[in-house]
Amino acid sequence: MERDLAQLNVALNSVKVLRSNVRSVFESVGNGLRADHGDDGKENKYIIELQELLTTVNNNLRDVENAVASLTPPPGAFSLGNTTYLAQETTQERQALYGQLVNSYKWTDKIREYSALAGNILQTNSFNKTYKTLSTTKRRKTQTSNHNVSPEVIENLITGIDRLFPDVTITTNRPFVPNPVVQASLGRVLKSIIGFKGLMIEWVVVKAHAEASDQWSDSRYKVFQKVTENCHAAMCHFHSPMMPDLAVRSFMHWFHSYNTLFSAPCKRCGNHIHNNLPATWRDLRTLEPYHEECK
Amino acid sequence: MGVTILTQFPTENRTGPQTIDVLSKRISALGASQQGQFLVDCETYTSAPQLGHQRIVHVLHNSEQPATVFSILESGTKTIPLATDGLFDLLMMKMSSFYTSKKQTKAESKGPRFEIGDFCVKLGTVTISSNFKGILVEVEYRPCVVPVMCWDLMKEFLQGFLGLSGPTNPPAYLQNRMQEIYSPLDTVHQYLEHFTMFRKMPGGVGMRP
Ligand SMILES: [Zn+2]
Repeated sequence: MERDLAQLNVALNSVKVLRSNVRSVFESVGNGLRADHGDDGKENKYIIELQELLTTVNNNLRDVENAVASLTPPPGAFSLGNTTYLAQETTQERQALYGQLVNSYKWTDKIREYSALAGNILQTNSFNKTYKTLSTTKRRKTQTSNHNVSPEVIENLITGIDRLFPDVTITTNRPFVPNPVVQASLGRVLKSIIGFKGLMIEWVVVKAHAEASDQWSDSRYKVFQKVTENCHAAMCHFHSPMMPDLAVRSFMHWFHSYNTLFSAPCKRCGNHIHNNLPATWRDLRTLEPYHEECK
Repeated sequence: MGVTILTQFPTENRTGPQTIDVLSKRISALGASQQGQFLVDCETYTSAPQLGHQRIVHVLHNSEQPATVFSILESGTKTIPLATDGLFDLLMMKMSSFYTSKKQTKAESKGPRFEIGDFCVKLGTVTISSNFKGILVEVEYRPCVVPVMCWDLMKEFLQGFLGLSGPTNPPAYLQNRMQEIYSPLDTVHQYLEHFTMFRKMPGGVGMRP
């Protein structure tokens, strides 16, 4: 393929050179005798010039024939699909469409190539560290799409989680159907605003109960800013595109361990406070409390 | 408004300003930055004899809630707390024939206010009718609203910069309210508790201005 393209380029180039030199011949013939041929034997000089030009053309023609001979002819007619109809377009501004079409084709081609590469790399370096193991029968129940899930499925998942933890209160609102924004209150400790994208958690903000329940502003308290940061880390950690409902449940299970945010001392150093913050990290598996610096 | 613990810090053989200076240096060394001043004051009124059965009204202001006047009515065994707006002060003036303020009882705690992480620390010099009485340290942990959840954490913080003088038990007023949601009135109650103790102290013994 690469070689074919190079040869095609060589052939096109030699056609270009041939055309340009043929043009010089016609120019010379068209102008006839010129002042720079002088007075002495001007006809002779003119004929010599013409002969030289024709020789060049001859050589160029040979180059073209050689180049064309080395090309492999395409097996059949090109099928351009629906794009052939573009050729029948008569309006001026739409004739540029073919170029754009080719460009976007190239882009999609690249995306395919890169995503295939990324897919391969991700498969060998799996970052799915969800600790729960599932039986194979459950594993077969994979969803085909996680982005486009019916609201009932999400509703069921959320009410399921609500029942799982008695001290977590969940309220839902749907500013953008069908992606719900869930407010999960953890006892009297904190509340979190969780944005879903289909069955996947897309955004988490942790705040004090007294603070506004919007998704966009951070808490004014350092401890909740830190917990928000850790929630983002956990959200990525538990993320599992193949089993999104399990990912959400694992996340909520982990999140629930923050009910001891203020009361549990750090497992490593035994103190409550480090850098004026309580133990803001919870181990992803054991759910034990640690300071940021002690984990 | 988070859980607040108020505790007395002994001056030992230092003067009031020296003690404030020592504590300011300690808290600054821990990374606190000073954010202005604070003031809590308390005036106590007694009902006139012709109203019969004696009642006492304590009126308190806290610079942290500048638009609110707190009052606590003591009548026999009952105490009734009230949080009102600034007009309450004018109302008390109107009632000066029924409620008169005891002389020499105006209590104040004022001094620098520090912020460190989510903690707010206030180092108050207590005076009663302008006589120096002692030092009150107020620590507020703003993200938490239930005392029982953060008491251990706050005890650790307080002992971190008050050393052995830090409290080992929750303030008496809070002990029955550890499970409840903390409110600004609880802070006012704690101040009143300390002011009452300072008022009962023999004038200025062992305390240098
Ligand atoms: Zn630690």
